[in-house]
Amino acid sequence: MARDKIYLEEIFPSPFMQLWLIFRKTPVAMVGFSCFIFLIVLAIFGPLLAPHSPVEGQFDMLLLPPAWHVDGNVSYLLGTDELGRDMLSRLMYGTSLTFGLSFIVVIISLVIGVIIGSLSALTSGLKSSFLNHFLDVILSIPSLLLAIIIVAILGPGIDNTVWAVVLVLIPQFIHITRYAVKEESRKDYVLASRLDGASPFRILYYSIFPNITDRIMGQATLAQSAAILDIATLGFLGLGAQIPLPEWGATLANGLDLFYIAPWTVYLPGLAILFAVVATNLVGEGIRHALKLRKER
Amino acid sequence: MFVFTLRRLSLFIFTMLLLTLLSFSVNFLFPGEAIINLTGAINATPSQLVELNNAYQTHRNIFWQYLAYLSHIINGDLGLSMASQSDISAEIVNLLPATIELSLVALFIAMLIGIPLGFIAAIKHNKITDNLILSISMLGYSIPVFWLGLLAILTFSISLGWFPSAGQISLLFEIEPVTGIQFIDILLSDSPYKWQAFSDASTHIILPACVIAVTPATIFIRLARTSMIEVLDTSYIRAASAKGLTFQQIIFRHAIRNSLIKIIRHVGLQFANLVTIAMVTEVIFSWPGIGRWLIESIYQRDYTAIQSGLLVLSCFIFVVHILTDFIYAALNPLARGNKYGAR
Repeated sequence: MARDKIYLEEIFPSPFMQLWLIFRKTPVAMVGFSCFIFLIVLAIFGPLLAPHSPVEGQFDMLLLPPAWHVDGNVSYLLGTDELGRDMLSRLMYGTSLTFGLSFIVVIISLVIGVIIGSLSALTSGLKSSFLNHFLDVILSIPSLLLAIIIVAILGPGIDNTVWAVVLVLIPQFIHITRYAVKEESRKDYVLASRLDGASPFRILYYSIFPNITDRIMGQATLAQSAAILDIATLGFLGLGAQIPLPEWGATLANGLDLFYIAPWTVYLPGLAILFAVVATNLVGEGIRHALKLRKER
Repeated sequence: MFVFTLRRLSLFIFTMLLLTLLSFSVNFLFPGEAIINLTGAINATPSQLVELNNAYQTHRNIFWQYLAYLSHIINGDLGLSMASQSDISAEIVNLLPATIELSLVALFIAMLIGIPLGFIAAIKHNKITDNLILSISMLGYSIPVFWLGLLAILTFSISLGWFPSAGQISLLFEIEPVTGIQFIDILLSDSPYKWQAFSDASTHIILPACVIAVTPATIFIRLARTSMIEVLDTSYIRAASAKGLTFQQIIFRHAIRNSLIKIIRHVGLQFANLVTIAMVTEVIFSWPGIGRWLIESIYQRDYTAIQSGLLVLSCFIFVVHILTDFIYAALNPLARGNKYGAR
């Protein structure tokens, strides 16, 4: 047998790549991941793809049931609501509001949380102990309650909801980053680079961060499913997205009065939320599973 | 145990201080004047306003203002509701028991369903049953609670007509509130229709409690499964099976006890989650609890009610948290030695 490779090169994939290699082999996680990518694409291009306007209604097409129903109309695939607005278009626009915004929310709070968390991991003593207790208190208050309070301060509206959920999610990221950085900095390879004379920030950036990205990503998926549910719940309670916006929770609350006559106006947004959260959780589950397998190796 | 109690007590006091500080500072962030937000006295005459300013020490610096606020809270004075001008602490005393009742029943249902299912999944680890239970729990974990509540109302109240869709008890029954917890009040009352009232109250609580219980139950499934798998992997289980005990004996005598302890520890953490879900569910099922009251006070911009509601709800959650910590420490001697914040 011919040997193409004479010089056997040993490849050490980065921790992140190792994770991806394991992650790729779990079919369920990959299904979740493709749904996740699909939702992201829909969140970006949804407004371009939507067949009708999400806010302007057709007054001769009120409360049309979905197309598979006897009275349905194919050009309104998922039916219309009480103002004749196309449900499919509303849901597609809603993807960029509920799912897209939750994605942005998670990224903002991740960046802030990781910065504060890693800085706090470098400090010690009274300051660190105070922060620890403070985080415990914040984490013991239910996230939705805190978000509701912040919305009460800022006033209802989709942009205020976003800031409220960002603020609510930050402590979780601080907590996990702090914990992960402290755990890693006790390991020998960090000690080695400290003995080489690396400054704390250099250690943090080159040694610790590549090894904790995966854990932070696992937390990010948890945070994202919480963010989707929080944004939708606030929308449902009328504290988030305001009336014409097709945010999923708000759309659902809008269909509430016609629940019995037009159940699809309530079923469909709920299913959309469920789909988004399940996809996110499947990805998170896949990451955690891969992390566990990598540790066992 | 004594040191453990002291440590928890100090944590409790510290947390209470921080929570009151939070609800105090929130008053300055709300629109409007802080003193009005604090007391809810929107219709106060100038002379009353002077009195209130004196009582809350607004002429002194922020530290003294905070102390004055604290002393008011300790005396049970949470101000007046801006919307109804009624005393907030009296309202909370009326409403909180309904929420406690609902969330405890929900917690009970969640544990009753979740923990055995988790154990079954762990015993059948990596088999079809395990995967099935895990997929169901993933679905239950992802379902938005307001949607689930609506579906439950549509199916069980409207289509099937099994359970009533709103309220705590039918208005036909007159029950004297003594403790505020409906079931105890019914049993204490001397009404001739006691048992009818009792069964009516139970049909009212089943649907909202089950809706609330879904998410915590799925989390309990996961917790129970992980802790059972861990326990089944230990050497004392192997020793027990080497001794010749049957599988049932191992599970019921050794494994369940040891894995239950680990789950109890997480009950307190899950409780915060459960109360959030209960708040939304109360709105859907028109349950006369503190969650619905709090959300309604947001619609009415009743800032005094919002800050007191925040304080009371988070205190309630924290008290439950500490209580489960105590139960855990009482059951598990190993936990008492654990130092808080130790690495």
